[in-house]
Amino acid sequence: MDKLIIAGREFGSRLLIGTGKFSSSRIMAEAIEACGAEIVTVALRRVDITNQSDDMLAAIDRSKYLLLPNTSGARTADEAIRLSRLARAATGINWVKLEVTPDPYYLLPDPVETLKAAEVLVKEGFVVLPYINADPVLSKRLQDVGTATVMPLGSPIGSNQGLKTRTALEIIIEQANVPVVVDAGLGLPSHAAEAMEIGADAVLVNTAIAAATEPARMAEAFKLAVQAGRTAYLSGAAGATKRASASSPLTGFLRND
Amino acid sequence: MDTLKINGQEKQFPTGKFPVTLADLLGQLGVEAATVVAELDGQIIEREKFAQTELHSEQNIELVRFVPGG
Repeated sequence: MDKLIIAGREFGSRLLIGTGKFSSSRIMAEAIEACGAEIVTVALRRVDITNQSDDMLAAIDRSKYLLLPNTSGARTADEAIRLSRLARAATGINWVKLEVTPDPYYLLPDPVETLKAAEVLVKEGFVVLPYINADPVLSKRLQDVGTATVMPLGSPIGSNQGLKTRTALEIIIEQANVPVVVDAGLGLPSHAAEAMEIGADAVLVNTAIAAATEPARMAEAFKLAVQAGRTAYLSGAAGATKRASASSPLTGFLRND
Repeated sequence: MDTLKINGQEKQFPTGKFPVTLADLLGQLGVEAATVVAELDGQIIEREKFAQTELHSEQNIELVRFVPGG
């Protein structure tokens, strides 16, 4: 597959994976391996000093994967900026998946706060990958302030509804001069393939893999779907028509009329 | 009695038990320094500086770490 390039860095895989909701660190590590992803998202939270649990993320080989911290939990630009700075101190690298989601029911991103945070973080030298609603105008505004990608949602986080925003995603993809990573709501490999077929540069999947009965097997299915969708996009789809168009010759039938 | 506010909760230290440095505090709490990022009164403290960062009563400390997430 052709390379994905984000902020000058090359990736062989166009599937990004989130690490949430796995039932164990072993199952998580197997799924990451099986999906072939090179970018792996993580969150930042307070240490529970009264109840030290195992470090789930110890299972991730950081020399093999780019750890992409998110700012989940942030409700304002200021909270997202603070989390980004902490994440940079933790990873030593300046990549951040910017998300500002004040609404607890649909976890929809706040466009105003996201843009505000992006402006500050880009100025501070961060490589910013903002999670946004599928808003073509916001996408342009973000790429204008210098974000490395835009990450529009297909449907609400963890909802597995697929590409409910397809028409808007097509406009975003048409207008983008940074990679478009479709994030959130992809519940099946066919959803991921569809996103790639319409020209998305990559997809990010978490719940659909983590919540499958066999996560590693589902991870492989997503890997294949992303490859199929990308290859289909590059091959130039033939397009749909309303009426039939025969595939077999319309002459030489075995009848005399 | 000396106190620290750690992750929003006040923690009291009996006389003589107050941690001298941030590294000492992590040791007392049983938190592995390699996995933690610290903020002391709103300032991020680099991990390499945990051992040199002296603590004083009534300071506000945030200890965060990466957890699984999308």
